[in-house]
Amino acid sequence: MKWAVDRRAFDEVFEQASRPRTHYEPLVSALESFTQAELDRRERLQKLSLLDQGITFTVYGDEQGTERIFPFDFVPRIIPAAEWRTIERGLVQRITALNLFILDVYTEQRCLKDGIVPAELIFSRQEFKRELLGVVPPRRVWTHIVGTDIIRDDQGEYLVLEDNCRCPSGVSYVLENRNLLNRVFPEFFTHYPVRPIKDYPNLLLDTLRQSAPRPSESPVVVVLSPGLHNSAFYEHSFLAREMGVDLVEGRDLLVEDGAVYMRTTQGKQKVDMIYRRVDDDFLDPLAFRRDSLLGVPGLINAYREGNVGLANAPGAGVADDKSVYAFVPALISYYMGEDPVLPQVPTYLGFRRQDLAYMVEHAHELVVKTTGDSGGYNMLMGPFATKKEIQGYVERMKKNPSNYIAQPLVQLSTHPTYVNGDFQPRRIDLRPFVLYGDAVRVLPGGLTRVALRPGSYVVNSSQGGGSKDTWVLAPRRR
Amino acid sequence: MLSRVADALYWMGRYLERAEHCTRLLLVTEDFSTEILALHEELARAEWADLLAIFPGSRLTRRAFPKAAPFAFPYLTSFYLDDQNPYSTFFSLRKARENARAVREALTLEVFLGLNDAYHALEAQARRGIRDVPAFRDALSATQKGLLGTVGAIAHTLTRDQGWLFLKLGEAIERTARTATILIAKLPALLDPAPKTDIPLYYTRWRSLLRGLASLENYRKARGAQMEPALVLRFVLFDADAPRALNYGCRAVKDCLDRLDKPGELTAPARIVGRLCSRLSYEDREVMRRGDYLGFLHSVLAGLDQAHEAIAAQYFVT
Repeated sequence: MKWAVDRRAFDEVFEQASRPRTHYEPLVSALESFTQAELDRRERLQKLSLLDQGITFTVYGDEQGTERIFPFDFVPRIIPAAEWRTIERGLVQRITALNLFILDVYTEQRCLKDGIVPAELIFSRQEFKRELLGVVPPRRVWTHIVGTDIIRDDQGEYLVLEDNCRCPSGVSYVLENRNLLNRVFPEFFTHYPVRPIKDYPNLLLDTLRQSAPRPSESPVVVVLSPGLHNSAFYEHSFLAREMGVDLVEGRDLLVEDGAVYMRTTQGKQKVDMIYRRVDDDFLDPLAFRRDSLLGVPGLINAYREGNVGLANAPGAGVADDKSVYAFVPALISYYMGEDPVLPQVPTYLGFRRQDLAYMVEHAHELVVKTTGDSGGYNMLMGPFATKKEIQGYVERMKKNPSNYIAQPLVQLSTHPTYVNGDFQPRRIDLRPFVLYGDAVRVLPGGLTRVALRPGSYVVNSSQGGGSKDTWVLAPRRR
Repeated sequence: MLSRVADALYWMGRYLERAEHCTRLLLVTEDFSTEILALHEELARAEWADLLAIFPGSRLTRRAFPKAAPFAFPYLTSFYLDDQNPYSTFFSLRKARENARAVREALTLEVFLGLNDAYHALEAQARRGIRDVPAFRDALSATQKGLLGTVGAIAHTLTRDQGWLFLKLGEAIERTARTATILIAKLPALLDPAPKTDIPLYYTRWRSLLRGLASLENYRKARGAQMEPALVLRFVLFDADAPRALNYGCRAVKDCLDRLDKPGELTAPARIVGRLCSRLSYEDREVMRRGDYLGFLHSVLAGLDQAHEAIAAQYFVT
């Protein structure tokens, strides 16, 4: 059995070549006890299982069959209890602050008046919805479900890379990965006290019920999906099934007298809380994009009148804008009077003249991103780009600088991953999921995404990424 | 239940039934045509050509087949593997799965696994292509097993709620309509009053008809080995217990509608199906005496079409 290590990055498993970190020792021994043929057999089983169960995602623009399996690597990522405590504390702090920030932006705008975040930056964001100024959702919560991307640098320090406050996806894979590993490699679990995650759908349903306009009246909750052709449709369906609620599309809902109803075989049924997986702009053609066929005419009005709850609340995207990200440490201090528990990656903002000059001059060293895109699209990986690519990108950036940010290239940590019969180091990140109802709760673990292409830094599923099961170990009993 | 979900489950039921029906017909036709090929090639060819009448609107795959290929080949390819043919097994199975995927939350994991597995196996088969008739037979049998496994998973794991009723409603309407369509396509030749020169062959054709309707064993249980046309017709039209008889099928449709509607409510589809059931229960002697089977079958088929339209208007559009 060969274990390769990439010395440029922090290796999650090996402290030194062939010496695993203490918490990985039992796993490495277990893996080494298998023959190559047995590993290959189980890997085949796991792939078949994914296909049989239809655990797939859709790649936009892919004309070859739209369904793809999200590749799963069976070597789990393990996070010791003490490390997780810090991550959890940092996430609770961060999501609390982001929520306070959104509340402030749509009400008093103190942080803008006090100059913590430049007002022009907020007002120019597409995610800032001025139609919703003054509208405060139940419990004053905007960010009911957040997926925050965390990476580790070459020293092994956890850094926040990005917040996803709109419709973060991936949690279904977290749950399915655990099921899959349990079935295919049950031996692994005998050595570790892994914290369970299966109650996530219950917690999500509780969060949604608590966030409905009238939580005490057995609110009717639904999941709103753009439909079968959306890349995350499997997840929408999975969550509706696991929560035991209806999965609706825009065409299933209608608004009458300021209330939202679904069309059923027995006539109209009132809906109280919508876990929407449709972007803000497509939610309501009367409020936002007129050409939206995915939304429900009048929905935003019903929300404004307090007759229906929306999770996440529309307008929450202002907090996960890639430019606003740069201000999050300051926002944590401003709203909570605390230092950030989790550090983040230094960020240059295209809308600052000084930063832009640096970005132009150092584009070849930086990772440059557009503020409005996700999924690894429209990104420049300076150190790996050709001169021509850099030049073209910089030209586009100069035309609309406020839509760009840049960060130094972080050597993402690597994790042994089973590729073609060997354990190869591949770069990973982590997306933990945070629920905010009556309190902020963090699902232990999250989605570990892995860049399967050798040398790649891009972990997104749409660009050749896969995933791993993520174990958070329970604290030792005394 | 959401109207869209009910609609998708109804169609999933229809397409599953259609896929199984087409697969079974291909197996039976292949079996029969092989048996009589040397005896009566013209009849063997006519049996295959009947498929175009049983599935109106379908056409043979526009593809060049090797000159030496058996004449069954274009039919097997078109009705099993061609996903452009709206009545092929592949097309129906794909549609059943698409509907299932769209409302997966309304199904159990076992149902989805069964359907997904059957679909992927057939998709792989279609990609690879099939070289000879025995290979077609194996593949068809495997698909039929997969489909029946899915139907079994539905029976054993789905809760008997509205979703179940819409799925079974689609299945029952499809099954009854298909029985009527097969009879309409096959009876003119079978009831041809010209003198029968080959009596054993004549009875083999009736037996094949019953096999095509998955009713041969049930018929034998009810009527013994006597393969008399009138007995067979009475059985496939009016039997109250055989699942592919028209009478049973219409009752299955009525039963679903009765359970879907509020007590005391008489909806438009319930009225249409109630009238059909009444005719199938009480007009048996008259139909058998008159012998106008085709006229009767056409009227039943028209009634089922009306019921389908009324169901869509009643439950799927709000």
